Formats: sequence, C-alpha cells, structure tokens
Amino acid sequence: MYINEETCTACGECIPYCTVAAISLNEETAEIDYDECVECSICVRLNICPTNSITRDNLVWPRTVRNAMSDVLAMHKITGLGGRGTEEMKTNDVTGRYKEGFVGVAIEFGRPALGARFYDIEKITKASTEFGVEFEGDNPISALMSNKVTGEFPEELLNEKILTGIVEFIIEEKHLNDYLEVLKTVSQKIDSVFSLGLMVKCDDYGRIPDSISELDVDFYLNGKTCVGLGRKNKEAK
Amino acid sequence: MTHTAHRSGELESLQNDFVFLMMSAKGFNDKEATPKFKKFLEIAKECEAISVVDASKGHEKLQGSFEKMLENVHDRSVVHAVFDQREKVVEMLELLKKEGLGLSVVISGLLDTVHECCQEVGLKRHTVLLSSGIWGKTEKLPAKEVLDLHTMCGHGMVSAGLIEDIVEKVKEGLYSPEEGAEKLYEPCTCGIFNTSRAVEIIKKLSEA
Repeated sequence: MYINEETCTACGECIPYCTVAAISLNEETAEIDYDECVECSICVRLNICPTNSITRDNLVWPRTVRNAMSDVLAMHKITGLGGRGTEEMKTNDVTGRYKEGFVGVAIEFGRPALGARFYDIEKITKASTEFGVEFEGDNPISALMSNKVTGEFPEELLNEKILTGIVEFIIEEKHLNDYLEVLKTVSQKIDSVFSLGLMVKCDDYGRIPDSISELDVDFYLNGKTCVGLGRKNKEAK
Repeated sequence: MTHTAHRSGELESLQNDFVFLMMSAKGFNDKEATPKFKKFLEIAKECEAISVVDASKGHEKLQGSFEKMLENVHDRSVVHAVFDQREKVVEMLELLKKEGLGLSVVISGLLDTVHECCQEVGLKRHTVLLSSGIWGKTEKLPAKEVLDLHTMCGHGMVSAGLIEDIVEKVKEGLYSPEEGAEKLYEPCTCGIFNTSRAVEIIKKLSEA
C-alpha cells in the first residue's frame, strides 16, 4: 500500500484499521512501514481516507505473495477460492479427504493478530517433514515451497510477511502425539504465533474418537462441525 | 480456510455464537451450485440470521444490497449465516435438511451444542475441527478480551487497534456499544463477525 504524501492531511483515521499496525504519523503525514505492511488492502477497501490518499501499489514478486495471502478477496489461482488454505474438513462428507485413523493438521500462521514471516513458517514445515508428512497439494502455502520434501521455501520469500497462511497435511493418528511434542518445541523458536486445528472424522455414531481427547494438548470447547449434508454430483468420480 | 475456527471467549459468550457455512467441493459438486447458494442465503434470511453473506464477494455493505449479493453468487461461492440463538440453529438445520441442497454444511460453535442440534434434527455429525488454540510467542498478543473480538474475524481484518479505538470511543460516549459493534463488523469482509456477541464484550470492556 502507498500513501500519497501530497494529499494526506495526517488526520490519522486510517491508523487503527491497519491489521498489523504498520501505519503511523510523522510530523506532516501518515506513513506506512513497508516492511510490516502485508498488503491486505483493508485501508483502501473501506474508503477510510477522507482525501483518498491511500492506493494499492503495483506489486512485483515476491511481494505479490503478501497480497495473495492477506487480502481476503484475493482469489488464489491454485484453489480457485479466496482464503488461505483449502476446503479442508468442510467438504469431507463429499471428498472423504480425512479418513478414520488419520488426522488433518491445519497450522494457521500469524493468527491471531500478529502476521507471520516465511522464515518462521519454514521452521515448522521443515520440522514436520521428519514425520514424512505430505503437504496438502491444493494449498497456496504448499505451492510456494521450493521443496515439498524438505518443507523449504525460496530464499527470496523468507522475509515476506503475510497476515495468515495455513500449512496443511494429514498424519496417521498413531504419530500425532509425537508430532505435537516436536511442534511444542519448535513453536518456542518462532517470533510469531499460530493457531492449531486438528480435523477428525467422527465414528458411525457421530462421536469424536477417544484417542483425540486423550492427546496431551488442550482443546477449545468450540470448533467446527461438518454436519454431513453434502453429496457428490452424479457425474463426479 | 479455517476462518470461523479458533474463536476465543468465555463459555457464556460462546453460547450465543454460531456460524453456518455452505460450500461446494471442487470437482465433486461445484457444477450448477449457484441456485443452491441462493437458496441457502434465502433460508438464512428467513431464519433471521444476524448476518447473511457470500464470503467470496464480501458482506452486504460491500456488495450494495442483499439482492445484489444474490445476483453475484456463483458456483464456487462460500456462503455464511451467523446466529446468536441456539433455537435458530436448529431451525436453520431443519430447513437445510428438508431442502436437500447436497452441498457441505459446516457449523462453527460449541461442539457439544452443535452435536445436540444435529441430533435434534436427525443428523449425525461427519467430521470436526478441534482448535488447540494459540501456540508460539503468545506474549506478543493483545489482551484476552480484545482477542475475543478480533478472532470473530478469522482472517484478522478486525485489527486490535480498531477494537481498542472503538472501545475508547464507547467509553467517551461517542458510540453506543451497538454502533461500536457495527463499526467492527465493517472490515470483516466475510461477514462472520457476530455483532450481537460483540455488543456484550464491548460493554464489558468499556465499563472496565
């Protein structure tokens, strides 16, 4: 994002709206910390500026990634969806992506409130590969990896900051406790936060497998429930 | 795409927070899904959802009107309805089951409550997403109550700075808590921010 210093009146209206607190006032104008800005576009979309002094930059790689992963209405070429990940568990009643005995892992970087840089995301993806996980193919973060086997990203991407991005993979239930131990250790080495989601198929009675509640982590009382109303079209494979 | 998961808050507050989502599955049932999304949005209006949105194009204010939102719906839309009452959740589920749209429906909210709602209408939950909360450098996060508001927009569009600004303005009498909640709803492009729940949290914060 870019602030036109010629027309900005330094009213400060835009400052609280910034999702990563990247806007501040200097003596005569508001200014954007270019390194912190994640190009989420909210300051433009809401028409907050009374003099229309905030505009979108013509972004070039690798900065384009900031907008793709931070602007809610930016459409991903990979998934055909807005948002930062895949359909994950939401369509599991149709796709059968998560089967019994397996757990879907969704690590949402930068969430809440802080945003994240790829060098932190890479610490987790590299550690995850120790478990032989296969990163979800239809996911923008996976698509950005330079090596999906090692979980590495291109060098030029490592300092790019995004508002949120989800690392997704499926792991065998029997390996989950060990994986969570590694995740606890590596999470202490990052400079931001992530929210962790685990996706499990319920049994024939709609119950969550006991093995999940026995894991050595706490869970919120709330979560997401796919209620089983989906079905394939007749022509679908 | 886990933007309705990880909503933090006290049990009492979360009892009034439910978000429906309906979407098609790429390659499985996304062809000719448009009328199904329209039907969902109409049913949600009928059930008096506090927010009814096609997240792929943004909430009603961004699209201009509910009618325009219906016009803009497409086969890969992701539609939402936010409720602040359990009984409305049951009503919505019953209507969706009766309509048999065939697209996947997900409800975010207290897992046990949603499970009960499913059972009441004869549905069996298929898959769940459990949140294990926030990991990493949590000491850098804003205050808990600010997070309770912030996490209602999972994409992080409702900034901590805006929440603090609005709460200050409510304290100063410049906005009512209801007006404050509406202001916070605006940046939540997907329209999943629960204004009803937000009013109560803003009241608590502004009285502190």
